[in-house]
Amino acid sequence: MNSKLFKKDLEYIVSLVLSISASLLIGALIMMANGRSPAVGYGALLKGAFGSKYNMANTFAKTVPLVLTGLATAISFRSGIFNIGGEGQLYLGAFAAAYVGITFTTLPKGIGIILAIIAGALVGGLYAFVPGLLKVKYKIDEVITTIMLNTVAVFFTSYLVNYPFATTRGKLNGTEIIADQFHLSRLIRLSTLNTSIFFMGFIALLIYYLMEKTSTGYDFKLVGQNSLFARFGGINDRRQMIIAMVLSGALCGLAGVFEVLGVHYRFLQNISPGYAWDGMLVALIVKNNPIGVIIMSIFFGALKTGSISMENATSIPSELVLVIQSIIILFIAGEAGFKEKFKEWNAGRKVKQKAGERNA
Amino acid sequence: MYYMTKKLIQVKNISKQFPGVLANDKVSLDIEKGEIHAIVGENGAGKSTLMNIIYGLYEPTEGEIFFEGEPVEINSPLDAINLGIGMVHQHFMLLPSFTVAENIVLGTEPRKNRIFMDFKEAVSRTEELSKTYGLKVDPYRKVESLSVGIQQRIEILKVLYKGADILILDEPTAVLTPQEAEDLFNVIRKLVKDLGKTIIIITHKLQEVLAISDRVSVMRHGKMIGTLETKDADEQILAEMMVGREVLFEKLHKEKIPKEKVLSVKGIKARDNRDLIALDQVSFSLNAGEILGIAGVEGNGQSELVEVLTGLRKMEEGTFTVKGIEVFNKSPREIRDLGIAHVPEDRLATGLSSEATIWENMLMGIQHTEPYAIKGIHMNKKKIMERSDRLIEEFDIRTPTGDLPAGNLSGGNMQKMVIAREFSFNTPILIIAQPTRGVDVGAIEFIHSQIIEKRNKGAAILLVSADLDEIFRLSDRIITLYEGKITGEFLNGEISKKDIGLYMTGKHMDLAGRGASNE
Amino acid sequence: MQEERLNKRQVKGMLKQVLNLTLIQHTIRTATPLILAALGGLLTEHAGMLNIGMEGMILLGSFFGVLGSYYFGSSLAGVVLAGLVGLVVGLIFAIFVIDLKSDEFIVGIAINIFAGGLTVFLLRSIFGVKGAFSSPDIIPLPRLNFPGISSIPFLNVILNNHSIFVYLSWIFVALIYIYLYKTPYGIWLRASGEYPEALETAGVSPKKMKYIGSIVCGILCGFAGSHLSLGYLTLFTENMSANRGFVALAAIIFGTANPIKTFAAALMFGFFDALGIRLQVVGVPSQFTQMIPYVATIVALFILTKRQLAKKKRDREGAA
Repeated sequence: MNSKLFKKDLEYIVSLVLSISASLLIGALIMMANGRSPAVGYGALLKGAFGSKYNMANTFAKTVPLVLTGLATAISFRSGIFNIGGEGQLYLGAFAAAYVGITFTTLPKGIGIILAIIAGALVGGLYAFVPGLLKVKYKIDEVITTIMLNTVAVFFTSYLVNYPFATTRGKLNGTEIIADQFHLSRLIRLSTLNTSIFFMGFIALLIYYLMEKTSTGYDFKLVGQNSLFARFGGINDRRQMIIAMVLSGALCGLAGVFEVLGVHYRFLQNISPGYAWDGMLVALIVKNNPIGVIIMSIFFGALKTGSISMENATSIPSELVLVIQSIIILFIAGEAGFKEKFKEWNAGRKVKQKAGERNA
Repeated sequence: MYYMTKKLIQVKNISKQFPGVLANDKVSLDIEKGEIHAIVGENGAGKSTLMNIIYGLYEPTEGEIFFEGEPVEINSPLDAINLGIGMVHQHFMLLPSFTVAENIVLGTEPRKNRIFMDFKEAVSRTEELSKTYGLKVDPYRKVESLSVGIQQRIEILKVLYKGADILILDEPTAVLTPQEAEDLFNVIRKLVKDLGKTIIIITHKLQEVLAISDRVSVMRHGKMIGTLETKDADEQILAEMMVGREVLFEKLHKEKIPKEKVLSVKGIKARDNRDLIALDQVSFSLNAGEILGIAGVEGNGQSELVEVLTGLRKMEEGTFTVKGIEVFNKSPREIRDLGIAHVPEDRLATGLSSEATIWENMLMGIQHTEPYAIKGIHMNKKKIMERSDRLIEEFDIRTPTGDLPAGNLSGGNMQKMVIAREFSFNTPILIIAQPTRGVDVGAIEFIHSQIIEKRNKGAAILLVSADLDEIFRLSDRIITLYEGKITGEFLNGEISKKDIGLYMTGKHMDLAGRGASNE
Repeated sequence: MQEERLNKRQVKGMLKQVLNLTLIQHTIRTATPLILAALGGLLTEHAGMLNIGMEGMILLGSFFGVLGSYYFGSSLAGVVLAGLVGLVVGLIFAIFVIDLKSDEFIVGIAINIFAGGLTVFLLRSIFGVKGAFSSPDIIPLPRLNFPGISSIPFLNVILNNHSIFVYLSWIFVALIYIYLYKTPYGIWLRASGEYPEALETAGVSPKKMKYIGSIVCGILCGFAGSHLSLGYLTLFTENMSANRGFVALAAIIFGTANPIKTFAAALMFGFFDALGIRLQVVGVPSQFTQMIPYVATIVALFILTKRQLAKKKRDREGAA
């Protein structure tokens, strides 16, 4: 790798480490304000995330939806179209998988799972196609439409599981359990870690290859950087944006599929505690770099799993990690601005110094 | 204190450092009361930066400003306004969805009961102002519906409303028709003679300087080269001061190439971004081994013509034919595949991605073709880098490596990168717009010689340039475009620069009349 | 089957249960936080910033409203604290978006997640409860009764006995309308969004206007939150804002950021919300009525764009 480019990446990594450290520090201050020891708190968090095979399994289980929604964000943002509708796509994808799982109960194991995966990806992708088309054809802001469609999907699936597809066994706000052959096998006893992590790994590899190594990935990136230049160079920028949006939606749909097939075995009204939002944060923090998405997802997964242990051990509420995460994202959002201010301040100081020398 | 009271503004040793660029380097300047002071220089010479410092928009890195002999700190436009300095920006500072009156009083609105806007008063003051200065405007109209010439009037009124005694005009004629420019000059003269205002006018058009100013200051590469009385100056002297040497470009060698028609354009009609007709019944043809120059005042359809021919803009009527294939609204991809490469007029907006690396920029257009994409899918980084490095060397692009973002390059090197890429496709047709805009003199020579070399190898080149000297230097044939129509076609050498100016401004009828009477 | 064969009388009875004066009363009540937040959000919208952090700002307002009211034994203290917290978050939004040039919607998302985390964290570490906190020590907002109209049954039900913010929100609509369109400051705020450089060269700092817009937005969202937690119920529950920030955003877009139209949109969305709740009571799924604001906004955006395109075309044909 070229040294200068490397230096730029390194600079960003330094900012990232600083941001995360500062956020953890703020977390520590909050713990202290609560009269708890940060060392004990973070110790419990670390142990809870990686302390045993079971804990590690839980951490990795959490990364599955984060990586998928994170990559979904990365691919759309990199292409200059902002899919904020991941949560809605995830819900619909999850429901589609559950629908397949409770309807086609006679399918053999492999085929059933593949069908459920395809259905979820398709539904998620189609749901993202709508705002994509509105953006490209009518220039309607996709940030707003996808935000709106999120809630529409949540309400719609909530209707489905409360009325036509409500389970007859108890009031669960969920569908019936999907047929046995749709269940993805669990890998570690008691943990929800299941074979979806292999699917996730495979998909992540594919997306990484697509984004970083192919000409199509180049097209996505250049459309996102300067769509007029892309059009000038012969790329169909509008089509590219729609493809990115649909791919992004499909990935979010898949995140939902794996929650159903691997974790809950049914669709639940509140199946996602905001995975798509977390995934978006993950992607934003690493500036839509696919490898970064994976690393940061593990970090976020660890925070989530560890926070439960932290809560049990120290009674510090686990929501502290949400606060920490949001502060990281704030720092990262301001990263360029902070740097600029720092440079300005530094330049100003130098000029003053110089003036001082001249006067002396 | 021995400053003469006549000296209204004195700028002393002002420097302004931008990231990577020293835009002003110890610049000093005196402005006298009641004069028209022109500031000339090439694009990027630092004229606008200096004016923005005087107007409080930029903070100088060092240096001092004196107003009527007293040192002043101008930290914001408000400070400048309070000193009686007003500025008419090159890009108008008008709110499109607000009315003329609202725009004119913006920032110092007349009020009712201290907190409410007094719209009636705003309108009547606008009318009054309009009468005083003889600049007619309709106070109720929304700015977005007005022509550029009227918008400039509003800008001037806005400045006068704020009580400005010193008006800074930044490239005021760049967007005007010759008639509008003449009107503007009459207004400027009136403001100085009848109303005692002081004018600072920034321009790079030397004829304008000679026509209107009392004194002229020349800037080059961020430095102040000197100030002289206009009556002691002529175009040659000013041009030399601007570019730092005698403007004698080497004669370019042009080979004779057998004529073969490769592009013919028939009856093209198209609209601009404001939906007004920009091109009307444009027809011409272009031969191999020929440079066809399109001359015209900016905004007369040149940009739209280039966009139509490269697929970036839809046409309403007409077609063009490339190698016997008729084109009507094909995509940029299809047109590129027919063999047209394009150096766009605005390299930052259209010609490159400043975030992307140089090699990525070099790749645009061929990213899906062998050998750069294996089976059209996998990027072959090795081949891509080889080609990029070769082009960097061939086109003398100054960068340590092709792995840096293009945004790090200087204007000239960016342009060389764009030209390198487009020329490397070896297309039979090249459409080149404003190839040397904002490029330093050394790069201009290089780019010109590259263009000629392409021509000598048999490429058909359509050259659009606002720089008439460039058109005359490179073209074999010249077409003039005025208000979207072709007004004339000449072989280079057939017509003088002066006469072609008449065709560019739609006044060639006068010439025809004169010619007839001479016969 | 039985449900499908509802006889006329039953339907009539159901309709009566759903469509009555109480529905209007509920509409006004549920619309109020939307109105407050939307008024704030339209200020940032005019100042050129899309604020999707309103959701979090409302949530913080709800929590700190309860906290203030509980600790100081005064609803005013709750409102002031909610407003102050809103102010601080609005300021943070402004610093990041305006001075540090961060992407406004990233900052918005961060605020939402921050609010979701912090409120639950504090709920548990201060009050030691999970899910919800309720106490008789939380003093509700005062309710107003206009004796003049209490004798008119219709007006009495609709207009009387509301939390004070209901009436204040109507006053705010008028005030913000006057501010935006009848004062120079409003013109400056709008100019700061439309073309900040133009405002700057006219000697007014667009930054300052943007800061003002953002801070006032924060305060109004804080008020909206305190109305939620202190207006009728006196409790805080996790995620109490329940998407209201996004509905407010929808109202702004639906109402093209005009205070009066936005007010109307918020009322309409409030109506569907109230209708949904009442439909649920009689066993009709509420999800579809709850969806309406979101779907309506997309449809409105679509129609608006189409209309603009048509207008452009008309202008062109007129000009030709």
